[in-house]
Amino acid sequence: MSETIDAKNLTKIYRRGREEIYALNDVDIRVSNGEFVSIIGPYGSGKTALLNVLGCLDTPTRGSLRLNGIETSGLKEKDLVRLRRDNIGFVFQQFYLIPTLTARENIELPLLFSRKNGNRSRIDEILELVDLGNRSEHLPRQLSGGEMQRVAIGRALINDPKIILADEPTGNLDSGTSKKIFDLFRELNNHGLTLVVVTHNLELARQAHKMYTLRDGQIVRCEDLACVLGRNDLKVQLEVV
Amino acid sequence: MNFLTLAAKNLLRRRGRTLLTVLGVAIAVSVLFSLMALNSGYEKELNKEVNSMGIHILAVPKGCPYEAASLIIHGGVIPKYLSDSDLKNVSLIPGIELATPMLMHQFMKKDERSGKSTPHIIYGINIEEMRTLKPWWTVEGRFFRDNETNVMLVGRDLADKENLSVGQILAVGPNKENFTVVGILDRTGDQDDQFHFFPLAEAQRIFSKEGKITTIAVKVDDVSQISQVSAEMEKISDIQVVTMTQIMGTIMNLAGSARSLLLTVIAIALIISAFGIINTLLMSVNERTQEFGMMKAIGASGLDIGKMVLAETVIITAAGGLIGIFGSIVGSSLIESFVKNMLPYSPRGSLISLNPELIIFALVFSIMLGLVCGIYPAFKSSRLTPMEAIRSGAD
Repeated sequence: MSETIDAKNLTKIYRRGREEIYALNDVDIRVSNGEFVSIIGPYGSGKTALLNVLGCLDTPTRGSLRLNGIETSGLKEKDLVRLRRDNIGFVFQQFYLIPTLTARENIELPLLFSRKNGNRSRIDEILELVDLGNRSEHLPRQLSGGEMQRVAIGRALINDPKIILADEPTGNLDSGTSKKIFDLFRELNNHGLTLVVVTHNLELARQAHKMYTLRDGQIVRCEDLACVLGRNDLKVQLEVV
Repeated sequence: MNFLTLAAKNLLRRRGRTLLTVLGVAIAVSVLFSLMALNSGYEKELNKEVNSMGIHILAVPKGCPYEAASLIIHGGVIPKYLSDSDLKNVSLIPGIELATPMLMHQFMKKDERSGKSTPHIIYGINIEEMRTLKPWWTVEGRFFRDNETNVMLVGRDLADKENLSVGQILAVGPNKENFTVVGILDRTGDQDDQFHFFPLAEAQRIFSKEGKITTIAVKVDDVSQISQVSAEMEKISDIQVVTMTQIMGTIMNLAGSARSLLLTVIAIALIISAFGIINTLLMSVNERTQEFGMMKAIGASGLDIGKMVLAETVIITAAGGLIGIFGSIVGSSLIESFVKNMLPYSPRGSLISLNPELIIFALVFSIMLGLVCGIYPAFKSSRLTPMEAIRSGAD
């Protein structure tokens, strides 16, 4: 299987005065095409920092990152914009929906930036996919938390990305709604989409093919859960990095 | 959806703040638009008023400055006089079609209702010559004859104001002599609507100014000869010559200082308005930093974010511009009366001249104001890196 994400020795250092804080410390991570990966870890372990670097929202202090075979270090901002636009869909914990736009318009927003707006049938398709066909003209304040997150997922999907990066997508949702969101992720993954999801919810994280555990900016465990999902038994391969 | 609709919807989030900013722009544009409309209208009306006199040159007593000549047009009285011989000498100059004498005098009349005394202007004129200068004069009743005694014409506005009618008798002059209103001039739309007109000899008699005239109004055969004729007139020792162009220039200069004051007020209003817009946008940009981060994450470039912020500014200023222009048009009479009080001399017609070019200019100006004010907030928002933006909310 070809690798969609291939990160080597990723290190991210933040400076607070003279103090250096290692948000990421020599992280290696590979995500294959069509793989569903979850990242877990305690608060401050570097999960979001890793996701931001993988999504080219932040640049690593050291290390290399290849996305779909493209080396990202040294790319200019406009090239990074194009790379993000064409390859990555982001889902955030806080949804970040525009309150004055309807569900349909929020989903349409990335098309405006990729100059592909006007593709109504594609928006309808996405609305159906995220099960919001009958809520398309509602404003975010008229939607439930789960529906808002589904709008955000629809927005992440509209540009046909190759990877979805989701940062605590169920962090603001109750357990029932969280499960539905993960079911949706599983469904998207079944359609061949690569997913990297940061979560605190271990139960949901275990639905992925692979689960990375981060602590103090380092990957301390990688569990291959593919066989669990595939054969429905509890054979878990542990790999300590 | 496009950037404009997105920007418009963004502005609806803080309706109150957006509305106040739009109103700030509207007031500034309204003041600017009114002054420009006034400037163009003032010149137009002044031209019309000077042309309506049917006179090309005024001969006034020597030493009388242009300002005094300006006053004459509006019925002001100057304490110096020319003589019949001056009139004769002027009439002999070649190129003059008509030279007619006028005596202006003022008397105070007590208003019966209010008890206040108000100045009334009397023009002693030669009616036949005046009708040649002003062929558009028509009258309710009849014109007087030059050799008639104790008769007068009155302007329409004066008649309406004083409730005068044809046949009415008024006591005029130091001896309160009775004069009959034989005619009321039909409305001319200029200063003539406010004056009393007497036969010249009668005006001279009742004010004991026999043989004296205040000014000689001259009409030339050919307007291109005005400078030659006025040069010839200057040679007469008692006379100072003022052409209508000079009078207009003098009045425009007098009005200029008042306009400068208004311009200062406008400049201050525009600066305050500009800072208001910048402040509103910066607040809006700061509030939405995380959102911009999200937009960058989903594919927006810095330019896209900048364009969106700039579009918001332009919507604010264009809306403010339209409201300001509309407000100026609707409230033009109010603005006009305010400005008229500030100007040293105002023509009688409408001072506000509204034309499409002016409306387009004011609108373009307001959009330009938006572009200028939006540059910094747009630049600031476009420079944010996605991480800075997203992380800003976590602080």
